[in-house]
Amino acid sequence: MSVPALSIDSVSAGYGDHLVLDSLSVQIAKGEFVVLIGPNGCGKSTLLKTVAALIRPSSGTVRLFGEDVRKLRPSVRSRILGVVPQKVESPMAFTVHQIVMNGRTGSSLPWIALSEEDHGIIERSMIYTDVLDLRDRYFMELSGGEQQRVILAMVLAQEPQIIMLDESIAHLDINHRYEVLRILRRLNHEHGMTVVLVSHDLSLSSEIADRLILMNAGKVVVTGSSEEVLQAEILSRVYDCELQVQQDPLTGAVHVIGVLDGISRGSEWMKPVHVIAGGGTGIELYRRFGLYGCNVTTGVLNRMDSDAEAAKALGIKAVFEKPFSAIGEAAYKEASDMAGQAEILVVSDVPFGSGNLINLRLAKEALDAGKEVWIAGGIAERDYTDGKQAVEQVDKLLAEGARSWTSLHDLMMELKGEP
Amino acid sequence: MKRNRENIPFTPGIEGVPRVRIALFCLAVPLLLFLSLLLGASGQGFPDVHSPVGKAILNLRINRLVMGLLVGSALSVSGVVFQAILRNPLAEPYVLGVSGGAGLGATLAILFGAVAFIPLSLPVAAFVAAVLTLFLVYGIASRGSGGSPSVYSLILSGVIISSICSSLIMFLVSTASADGLHSVIWWMLGNLQPAPLDQRILSTVLIGAGFIVTWLLGSRFNALTLGREMAHYQGMNADLIILGGLLAATLMAATAVSIGGMIGFVGLIVPHVTRAMFGPDHRWLIPLSAVSGGTFLVLCDAVARTVLAPVEMPVGVITALAGGPFFLMILQRKMKNAWIA
Repeated sequence: MSVPALSIDSVSAGYGDHLVLDSLSVQIAKGEFVVLIGPNGCGKSTLLKTVAALIRPSSGTVRLFGEDVRKLRPSVRSRILGVVPQKVESPMAFTVHQIVMNGRTGSSLPWIALSEEDHGIIERSMIYTDVLDLRDRYFMELSGGEQQRVILAMVLAQEPQIIMLDESIAHLDINHRYEVLRILRRLNHEHGMTVVLVSHDLSLSSEIADRLILMNAGKVVVTGSSEEVLQAEILSRVYDCELQVQQDPLTGAVHVIGVLDGISRGSEWMKPVHVIAGGGTGIELYRRFGLYGCNVTTGVLNRMDSDAEAAKALGIKAVFEKPFSAIGEAAYKEASDMAGQAEILVVSDVPFGSGNLINLRLAKEALDAGKEVWIAGGIAERDYTDGKQAVEQVDKLLAEGARSWTSLHDLMMELKGEP
Repeated sequence: MKRNRENIPFTPGIEGVPRVRIALFCLAVPLLLFLSLLLGASGQGFPDVHSPVGKAILNLRINRLVMGLLVGSALSVSGVVFQAILRNPLAEPYVLGVSGGAGLGATLAILFGAVAFIPLSLPVAAFVAAVLTLFLVYGIASRGSGGSPSVYSLILSGVIISSICSSLIMFLVSTASADGLHSVIWWMLGNLQPAPLDQRILSTVLIGAGFIVTWLLGSRFNALTLGREMAHYQGMNADLIILGGLLAATLMAATAVSIGGMIGFVGLIVPHVTRAMFGPDHRWLIPLSAVSGGTFLVLCDAVARTVLAPVEMPVGVITALAGGPFFLMILQRKMKNAWIA
């Protein structure tokens, strides 16, 4: 068995006290084309920087072809690993040729002229990335796509065996994006170069990669072929939103698309929903149910409460009580009528005190009327009533058939009837 | 417009360095230096070398020429290095507080009389104070950034420390005796009166060492202009190069301050003009700036001692008067060849 090109062994790393990578392990074989995907802030860029020895891991080791990257001399490391960052700027008027030359002169002395071979490599890198025509232009005057190709040429001039790109193509237009990808593909095929690309474009990633690595919260969630990784269920959980995966029957290309409309109109599940919330715990529920086209009502809320403001702003029918007052009988009666219209009742993770405990009676009524009732878990931490009355009531409701929810995404999936 | 590929000379970085301009430059420099020997407080024209007075005058002028070359090249090269490392067109020894620190050290040495008793105490005090200032600035800028400071925090703390140093110098000057006052003020304004021989020799050695270190790092500075991160990926120990470059530039600036006083603008203008003429490749920029900076200061000094002859003006006044408008003019032309920002 050959040594993997890149071997990351239970690496934890971060900035100061803030750990971004959490005991992450992954291996990449020589000649693989790997795309690293994951939500913003999941640690993709940190992983790249750790691999390139820019960040020292607090534990674990990174090995390049079996050698600990921290023990490699910088000049040796640069011949193994080339990195193209998201954006590179030069404040000075270097020409394209001068920039690309950096790939060879990085460790040379002033009086040592570049060899004919060095010039050949520089020339070849520029041909490869199609920037030869730009050689005498000023780097900073080029377009974003051209600059990215120049930087790629500079990194290629290092003649690395592994090349890593940190979302370098994200801000390019589709033409230039494919152009850079074609270059990478060719390097991968013809020269056996190992390519690690960080990308946000899931569909594009599936098209180009041998293997996908899906990261979340500093860990590898799953790694494998695009069929294995790009599954609606996995992606929806990681990105915490509803996603659909479609495969083109002709080309086999996989498309990951977000869901704008939630579900087809007139579907059974667009039932009216009544939300019991308060203190800002309802905003996301209002928003999500609203996006799906549900008829949402809410209450009882105290006026000036942030949920009350949100309900007003979103045009949601609501029942209000005076600010900072216990909910009175009149408001309760009104809310009871309103909740009677709904088919589903959802209790957010709102804290309960003596003032709003009465709202739980709405849940009891709904349950008695045979409706679906969903109550956010972890009631014990939010119960501020004397003698834990809220816990007692919720336990009773759950015993009688109410259901508990924790993740908003799971709740939506359950309500849609998709496991 | 495509170049003939057969003709690429295999010299590092000669691509993009206009050869005609370099040739003209090499012709102009000796001519200008010779011209400066003709000008002096005692009158224009080449001194009569057959008379003892003429000999003395020529000797004096040559000494000042050497002083000018030394100080001018040191200030220019340190400006080049600071601008490359900090990736900022405004960086120069003054902005980082290095000159201020050196000035404070030198003022202390002059006012407490060390200069009179201990040989070489002036350059040593200036350098020690400048390095301490640099570490102080670096230390303040690194706080809370977990290691290497950002360029912005470096410049910010540099400006603050610099103004603290100049307030301290003002304080020392205002409380000084009338005797020390004259020499401090005269030194502060900047002048190229030949320093004692041992000081001149030491300064030459120090500035020479700083120049060699920075020139050796030329290609690294090229990579550093793309940012510390990119330089790291290019296979260099970026932090070590930044620290080494800053130390070498500080050494040169402090030595220049110790023998020439506070001569402003040279470290700012000369790098920009040289870059505009020959491009930003540091393997060429560093030696070329050394020559052009030295020549510029020699010419300014020649003007300083002739304009109000027989009264001499401090050369710092001329560099500021000549440099300020020149700099503005270049800025107006957007410095297309020199700096895109």
